[in-house]
Order: sequence, then structure tokens, then C-alpha cells
Amino acid sequence: MLQCIFLLSDSGEVMLEKQLTGHRVDRSICDWFWDHAISQGDAFKSQPVIASPTHYLFQVVREGITFLACTQVEMPPLMGIEFLCRVADVLSDYLGGLNEDVIKDNFVIVYELLDEMIDNGFPLTTEPNILREMIAPPNIVSKVLSVVTGNSSNVSDTLPGATGSCVPWRAADPKYANNEVYVDLVEEMDAVINRDGVLVKCEIYGEVQVNSHLSGLPDLTLSFANPSILDDVRFHPCVRFRPWESHQILSFVPPDGEFKLMSYRVKKLKSTPIYVKPQLTSDAGKCRVNVLVGIRNDPGKTVDSITVQFQLPPCILSADLTSNHGTVNILSNKICSWSINRIPKDKAPSLSGTLVLESELDRLHVFPTFRVGFRIMGVALSGLQIDKLDLRTVPNRLYKGFRALTRAGEFEVRS
Amino acid sequence: MAPPAQSQRSSSPSQPSGKSEVSDLKLQLRQLAGSRAPGVDDSKRELFKKVISYMTIGIDVSSLFGEMVMCSATSDIVLKKMCYLYVGNYAKVNPDLALLTINFLQRDCHDEDPMIRGLALRSLCSLRVANLVEYLVGPLGSGLKDSNSYVRIVAVIGVLKLYHISVSTCVDADFPSILKHLMLNDSDTQVVANCLSALQEIWSAEASTSEEASREREALISKPVIYYLLNRIKEFSEWAQCLVLELVAKYMPLESDEIFDIMNLLEDRLQHANGAVVLATIKVFLQLTLSLTDVHQQVYERIKAPLLTLVSSGSPEQSYAVLSHLHILVMRAPYIFSSDYKHFYCQYNEPYYVKRLKLEMLTAVANESNTYEIVTELCEYAANVDIPIARESIRAVGKIALQQYDVNAIVDRLLQFLEMEKDYVTAEALVLVKDLLRKYPQWSHDCIAVVGNISSKNVQEPKAKAALIWMLGEYSQDMQDAPYILESLVENWDEEHSAEVRLHLLTAVMKCFFKRPPETQNALGAALAAGIADFHQDVHDRALFYYRILQYNVSVAEHVVNPPKQAVSVFADTQSSEIKDRIFDEFNSLSVVYQKPSYMFTDKEHRGPFEFSDELGNLSIGGEAADNVVSAQRVEANDKDLLLTTSEKEETRGSSNNGTDYTAPYDSSSTSVFASQTRMELEISNPTSAGHAPQASLGIDDLLGLGLPAAPAPSSPQLKLSSKAVLDPSAFQQKWRQLPVALSQECSVSPQGVAAFTSPQALLRHMQSHSIHCIASGGQSPNFKFFFFAQKAEETSNYLVECVINTSSAKAQIKIKADDQSTSSAFSTVFQSALSRFGIP
Repeated sequence: MLQCIFLLSDSGEVMLEKQLTGHRVDRSICDWFWDHAISQGDAFKSQPVIASPTHYLFQVVREGITFLACTQVEMPPLMGIEFLCRVADVLSDYLGGLNEDVIKDNFVIVYELLDEMIDNGFPLTTEPNILREMIAPPNIVSKVLSVVTGNSSNVSDTLPGATGSCVPWRAADPKYANNEVYVDLVEEMDAVINRDGVLVKCEIYGEVQVNSHLSGLPDLTLSFANPSILDDVRFHPCVRFRPWESHQILSFVPPDGEFKLMSYRVKKLKSTPIYVKPQLTSDAGKCRVNVLVGIRNDPGKTVDSITVQFQLPPCILSADLTSNHGTVNILSNKICSWSINRIPKDKAPSLSGTLVLESELDRLHVFPTFRVGFRIMGVALSGLQIDKLDLRTVPNRLYKGFRALTRAGEFEVRS
Repeated sequence: MAPPAQSQRSSSPSQPSGKSEVSDLKLQLRQLAGSRAPGVDDSKRELFKKVISYMTIGIDVSSLFGEMVMCSATSDIVLKKMCYLYVGNYAKVNPDLALLTINFLQRDCHDEDPMIRGLALRSLCSLRVANLVEYLVGPLGSGLKDSNSYVRIVAVIGVLKLYHISVSTCVDADFPSILKHLMLNDSDTQVVANCLSALQEIWSAEASTSEEASREREALISKPVIYYLLNRIKEFSEWAQCLVLELVAKYMPLESDEIFDIMNLLEDRLQHANGAVVLATIKVFLQLTLSLTDVHQQVYERIKAPLLTLVSSGSPEQSYAVLSHLHILVMRAPYIFSSDYKHFYCQYNEPYYVKRLKLEMLTAVANESNTYEIVTELCEYAANVDIPIARESIRAVGKIALQQYDVNAIVDRLLQFLEMEKDYVTAEALVLVKDLLRKYPQWSHDCIAVVGNISSKNVQEPKAKAALIWMLGEYSQDMQDAPYILESLVENWDEEHSAEVRLHLLTAVMKCFFKRPPETQNALGAALAAGIADFHQDVHDRALFYYRILQYNVSVAEHVVNPPKQAVSVFADTQSSEIKDRIFDEFNSLSVVYQKPSYMFTDKEHRGPFEFSDELGNLSIGGEAADNVVSAQRVEANDKDLLLTTSEKEETRGSSNNGTDYTAPYDSSSTSVFASQTRMELEISNPTSAGHAPQASLGIDDLLGLGLPAAPAPSSPQLKLSSKAVLDPSAFQQKWRQLPVALSQECSVSPQGVAAFTSPQALLRHMQSHSIHCIASGGQSPNFKFFFFAQKAEETSNYLVECVINTSSAKAQIKIKADDQSTSSAFSTVFQSALSRFGIP
């Protein structure tokens, strides 16, 4: 049971305070928290669950905004953290991003949202669809409307139908002239390549994102050509469990609009689409850097948005790095960023140059980790393929669309 | 004065300079209060927004209370909401003015828009002013019956708020039983969930004073309620599911079929998108199968994948919470993640707190098959840019080395660290090499060769320096330069700031002296002189001690300083296994994150509902609430088993004592029951046959040993008990069911008592010598449960006692029931004094 929620700006100012129970939490806890965070060096480094002298604090940091919740009773820690994450998601969804100004400009809406999301310290609903029906988002359309009609209330007049409905994630009976449903496979490749160039770990984290605009109460089934490759799956509450268990078919009544239908992992992939080979050789106070990038395993579609980033070790005085393709930038925080975009047909991109070490050092002892980014449109690298998507009752105008995308997640190459 | 322009951009206000803004606002609000001009709502809204934003940044705007209330007569819902917010914030400090708001809130409670009804009711209950509670009862009562579920949801929580403001008002209005009715009948699951959470809180708070409330609380975890909730689980919102699952984890099924039914039903919850639901489900699975060893192992297999997904797919905050849970699982089942170790490899971008837990996991899952890969990975972190992580990973390598038998490869790695010429790497590695040598002296040769090359000037950290000095002393015979290095260290005595290092230096010089006297003599003299002159008390004392023992007898000194050593086989673990068990019982709670059972960090009044030690007591209480509980029959049967067994034993003992007074209390029917259930009884009667009695092993509860200090024994007239009391088990059972609990207390058992508690039988004999007889006993270490009875001398007034003893916390929980209630506290005194004398000869 949470007792109080605070929103702090990136300078530690209390932007919002929402007391949840009769037990009033004094604001001074925020000062304590902020001092604690500062003393930890980096506010982002401190733990998500902290024991203060009087309260237990959960903190989630998003875009510089700290969401802080206090409690004095024993409770599941993940519940506190998950809830704060949801609050952050809902706010950022409502306000179109999170920052100090947007929260201060809309703090009444934030209060209203919190009021509906949690009562007496216990979370009620965090389902964006339902909240949206209770409290209209402050979008431009409604602002324009309010100017025109003079009615600037952003509260809808009706109660959400879903609170009494047996499909809690779906608003009652939306109507569309064009019925559309889009299914996107979005995959992220997490890989670790160690100092010896061995692929230590390579797996895909994927999501099936659906954008549905269907009238009435549509009942969908989605099946894959090769569901057996999936290692562990997690579903949106709308997915029925039995059909998946028996036939690996996703059967569901979708929420209206965009949502994440399922997430999955595919483990133990054998290879990555591109290679990155860093080489560092130290000699007499200097270190030669040479990084090669190329296609290892052609995925059949263009690999673009390739970037390679690495943190220069603190013991480096200066760096002189150039590339034969793309641009190299050294950012203020000593991060070297090389953007390649696409790999040209005629040459292999390479980055080379020298790092000058601090005077007393002869050779480099700490080695940077190279983080790689890329994007491949039209391919799900795990190999997962959608077989078909069916509607139980097909409306007269229906458009179905499928897309796939793979990008690098935590793709790192150590040197 | 605030410039007028400022009111236009009220949304992001600048810090007001003083009170002038507030009084300015007051004036403006007053002007608007009576106005009916068009567009007045918009200007009100601007002003309200300003007031709220002042309130938010911490400026006291309570002086505007009257004006705010005056302006609140409006149909604009946003204005209403802001006004509610304001009122809720300041009503408590302005109880008189709060009365002003009651009127408009009550009116809003009858609005035709359900949303306004709900909001008004919520605000009404959030005023929290004690002398206004009378105004709450009416709106709450109608709110609970409202046709709209939104209003009912608000009203249910309102009841809980009312309870916290005024217990008597809430109970007198009979709200708890209305909530109970709603919980079991309402069509909206959010209403049901709110009822559940409110009732848990209310009944837990009431349970200490009211027998009925504690029965109701137990009834919540009875089969019918649990099944009712489980059958609707999918309709609940994800948060409500967490609540229900938490309740289910406390439920103890009586048949293994039930366990499997529940697990099958909840299987898909493991794939829920909300991590809190997944973890709550896992807790249910683990708790349900505690008594079924092989199913418990299968559960570990089943929950592995969902847990790993939670770790790798969530935000860092979520990963952190999940990882801390994985850690206790690994402690319980070391092999569970041994093939999935790659999930715990650190990613460059992860925050420090996640990496640290991952390193802990890597250490914990390391075994013969994966050590090589894990150590290779850890070594890569040692060269990482992130210095704290580099340190932690070297320590992790060391820990793995200390827990493995095949340390060949690891020692090589550690020695490589020493050669890396990074001061912090060297420092960490030195400490490790020292520990390693204490466990594996056979490696001394290889290690010493490398350690000898390290210049002590490059080592600055006290811990590392102390380790280096220790090795110099311990292996001075193998290190050519040892005496000379030590000598140069002694020469720089004054520059050494750490007392720890100086202490080690003294001892090392002594050790070296016994091995290579001629070379060390100078250094020893200098060290002793410097040590005796040292301002640090410990250093001074040790130097003096060495000096005198050398004076007294050199060979004795050698024996003291340089005794033959045995290799350390296992380093002491910092956390006792008992504490780990407790934390495991509190799975999915903050205890896990802090790695402490909750009694060590939450104080009693703030502990959540239900965290009492009644799980063991369920057996009997379940029996009492027979009308609520379908399964009561079985519970009773179980208790009967318990009762029959010891009375059987008692019979034999009774006859061996003197055999005069004891009349075998069985009628033929109970004997036949006895005969048919022999097997079961044997298991229960023998507390050492672990794991068979489900109620005993499930009931290992967390908080037995907490809180209530033993009540000071009142000096009441001594109660005389009959030494020849007789009560047959079925009569006991019947009485136990009929009588209310007269007294429920917690007292402590003396340490001697705990020590003497080798078997329950010892206690039984002891209590019998105090004329308190045991009729049944059961349980296994550390929790034992006894049923005692006693009779007043020259009267047939009986006392029945249920006594739960936890030997690890040395606490006993006593429930006394008596025919004659008035003497129960006198009996309690007798009982406790008898118990406290247990183990004291």
C-alpha cells in the first residue's frame, strides 16, 4: 500500500504531491531523498527501493523526472515499481512526452489521472483506454474545440462503459467506417561479443504490436508459421490462454487502438547480421585504434542506421579518429560516435586513429565497450513469421497490414 | 504586488515573493464568488489552478479556504475536482471551516452524474476530520448501494477511510458486514477487490480485540472464499489480481488435488504482462508446494523462464526487483539457473544496482560446469571503464574460487589481475589471494612468486596493504626480500595512517622474526619501539604484549604468534539459514529486497494486514468457524488425529506413573477412528519425521517472534490445579470449539528452555509436573504446537490451552479457553510461570 506519491523535477523540486492515505507523509522526505541521491554521486545510480529513516521509497526515473512513492508497510516491491512505471507511461502518453514544463502546465490533469489510478494507496486501473474515457487528454484538437465552443472541460461527460464491462481493456462498441488492423513484429537483437571475438550471447527480444480500429466486439485469431522457436512469451490480458497452450494460436478481443499484444524471447541465435571488429594496440603512451564494420550474414534487406559508439577511457588526453565512410564525432562526455548508416558496396567502412594517453601511462589498461546500433526494415531476424490473421465476423470493409522490423538492442562488442 | 500579467500565465508560476500574492488571490476569488457573469468559470479555473499550483510548490494557501468554498458552487467538473483537491488538503488543519464544505459535498453525492457522485464521495471521505464523521455515514450507505459501479468502488474505499478516522462509527453502522456481502455478490470485480482489501485491513485491526473479527479474517482464507475469488481471477484488474494472489498464497489446501487445481488455474498468470502479477503467482506456486518436495522442484523449473524474461525485458527498476528475488531462489535451489547463467551477464548500459545484483547471481550460480565461462566473463569486467563494477567483479571471481574445488584456472586469472598494474585491481586481487591462500595453502608457491614482485609502494588501500603484509609475514621463508620489505615498511611507520595496517605489520614482523631471526631483528626492534609509542590504543597494546611475551619466553611467543594453521574449509556465511528461510517465506515483499525479514525493518504498527502468526492456529480457528467453512469437517478430522495420538501416549505414560487415576477415555467409536488413522497419527505425533504433516511445514511463519513483550505477571492469588485432571480428547475438542478464547498472549521462553527443547516430550513431562497436561502435540522445528488442559483443584472447571512455541525466536503464543472465564488470567500466570521454569533445573 503506497502512502504518497511525489513527482520531482531534475533539480529536486517537488512538482506534485499526492497524499493517498490518512497517514500524511511530510514533504521533508523529498529533501532527504534528494540529499541521498546527490550523495550517491549520480541520481540515476541510486537504487529503485531505498529505506529512509521513516519510509520505504520506490523511485522510477524517466526523462529526468523522478517518480517517488512512499510506504511504511510491507508490500510487494514489484507492485510499487510497476505502478510507478505505469504512471510514467500513462503520463507520457497523455502529455506527449515527459518534462518539467509539460507536467507543470498540466498538473491538474496529472492530479486527475492519479486520482483515478490509485485510491487509498491501492492501484485501481492503469489501462490507458479506460483512463482516456474518464479524462480526455489535453490534445490540440480538444484545445481548438474548447476555444471554439467555449467549453474547456477536459473531462468527458460519460462514464467509461468498460468499468462495468467484462472486457475491461476495451471501450464499449466503437464504430469505424474503415475497419483496419495492423500487426507489427518489432524485434531487438541483444548480443555480446567478447574480447576474443566470440559471440557470447545473442538473443532476440520481440514484441507483436497491434493497432486495431475495428467496430463492435471483434474476435481475432493470429497464428504463426513457426511458433516453436519462441522461448518465453508474455501476453496482454486480452489473450486467451488455452488456444495458445494447445495450438499456439493467439485468440483475443483486442483493445481499441495501439497495444502490445505479446512479447517473446528467442534465445541462442548463432549469428549477427553485421560484424564490428575493434582493435586496440598500445605502444609508448599511444594507442592505435582500428575498427572494421561489415556484413557478416546478409539478412536479405538493407541494413541501415548503423552506428558505433564507445566511451573513451578517462585516462585519454586526446583522440584523433577518422573514418573512410560516415562521420565521426566526439561528444562532450567523451563518447565517440561513428555513424555509418548504410554499408557501401565498394568498400568496408573502417575507423582508425590514435589515442594519446596520460603522460605516466605506457599502455591502456581499461578497454572501451563498443555499442552498435542498426536497423533492418522488413525482416524479423528471429525468423518468426505470421501465418494468418482471422476475424470471426468479417466486417464489410477490412484492411489488414503486416510489417516487420529488427533493430539492435543491447548490442555490444568488447575490445 | 504581483503584476496583473502574471495571472495570464498562471500555469507555470514563478515563486511568489510573499503573502501579497495570496491576499491578492483572496480578493479575486471573493469578487468571483457571487458573480454569474458569462465566462466566470474560466476565470475561476485560472484562479483555482493558481491556488493549487501554489499549494503544490508548498506555499500555505489555507487562508483562502473560505473563499474557495464559496466559489465551489459550480457545475464545471474540473473546477469541482480542483476544489475537492484543495479541500482534501486543508480540511484537516481547518476542521471548523471543513464543515462549510460538507454541505456542497453532500449535495454532490446526490448528483445525477455518477462521476460527480463518486468524486464527491471520495472527497467527503478524504476530509479526515473526526468530528464530521456523522455526515459520512449516510452518503456512504447510499454509495454502497449505488447502481453505478464507479460509485460503489469509491464507497468501499470510503468505508476504509472512515474506519481509520473513527472505528466505532464504521463498526456501528455495520459497514464491515455490508462490505462482506458486496465482496461475495457484487458483479463488478473492482468492487470485490476493494472490499477484499478494505476487509483485510479492518478485520486485521479488529482481530486483536474481537474474536468475531479474527474469525472473519480467517474466513477470508477459507476454501469457499478463495475458490470464489479464483474462479473470477481473470475478470480482475491486474492490480486486484495481485491482491487476490497474495491472499491465495496464504491459503493452505488440504488435498494435493486442490493444489494442482489451483496451479492449473493460475498457470497462465505466469505469462501476464504485469510483472507484479507474475511474481505474486510465483509466490502462490512456491507456497502451495512447500510440502510436496518433487513438485516444488518442478515449480522451480516452470517459473524459470518467466522470471528470466522479467529480468531481461523490463525497465532497470523492474529487473532490480526481480533479480533480488532470483537471489533467494538460487539459495534454495542452486541448480535452477546454472545453465542460464548468460542471462546474468552485465550489459554496458545497465545501472550499477542491476549490475551488482547480476554479479551476485553469477557468483551464486557458478558450478563445475559453467565456472570457466563465468570467470572469463567476469575477467572482462575487470578491465571495464566502470571502476566499482570492476572491483565487484574481481571480488566475485574470488568468491567463486572460494566455493569451487577446481581452482586451477581461477588462480591463474587472479594472478593476472595482479599483473594488470591498475592500483584498484591489484588491491582487490591482493585481498582475494590472501583469502585463497588461507583456504588452499597448496597454491602458496605460485601466488608468492607473483606477490613478491608487487612493490608495496603501489599498494595504498589499507585492506590490500594489510593483506600484502600478512602474506609477507606468513610466507617470509619463501620470499627472498620479505624481511627487507617489512623493514622499509617499519621505517615509514609514521606515514601509515591505518591502524589495521600497523597491527598487521607488527604481527608480520614477529612471524618473520621467528623464521629468519638474524635478518629481521632490526626491523622487530624498530617495530616494537614504534608500536609502543603509537597513539592508537590497540597498536600500543599489541606491541607491548609482544614485547613482554618475548621477554618472558621466546618459544611461547613463537607458539602464540606462529601456531601451526589449518586451512579454512568454509568461510562463515554472514546470513543464517534461518533468516534466509524467513525471507523466503516473505517472498514478493520488501524483505527480499532488503535481505532481511520484515520484523527487522518495519515496525509493528506499520506491518501490513494479515502478518500475524496465526497460520499455525488456523487449525483450531478453522474448526470454530465451522459454519463459514465448508472444509471444516476435514480440519476437524485433522485436529482429531492430533488429539488422539498424544492421549494414547499419555495413557501409557499415565499407567507407568502410577496407574491409579487414569481412566482410558475412549468409547468404541473413537477407538475405531483411531485405528483407521494410525498412519497419519504416527506422522504427526513424531515431530522428527519431517515434512509429512502439511499443516506443520506450511505454517512456518515469519512473525512468531515479534512484538508484544511478555505481559508482566500480575500478582494474583495462586490458583491450585488438580494434579489428577482427566479430560478425554473428544470432550476437549468439543470444549475447544464451544468456548471463546479467554486470553491470547505471547510470552518468551527462557534460553535454557529452548536449549532443553530437544524433544516436545521433555516439555510435556515438565508441564505435567505443574499439573498441566498435554492432550496433543505436533509440529517440527522450530515451530511446535501443543494442546494442554488443566483442571482446578476440587472443582471441575477446565482450562484449555493452545500453545505454539517457536524455538528459534524463543517465543510462545498462548491461547487460553476456560470454563470459568474469570480465572483465566490467574491460570495464564500459572501456565506462563510453569513454562518459564522449563529447562531451569
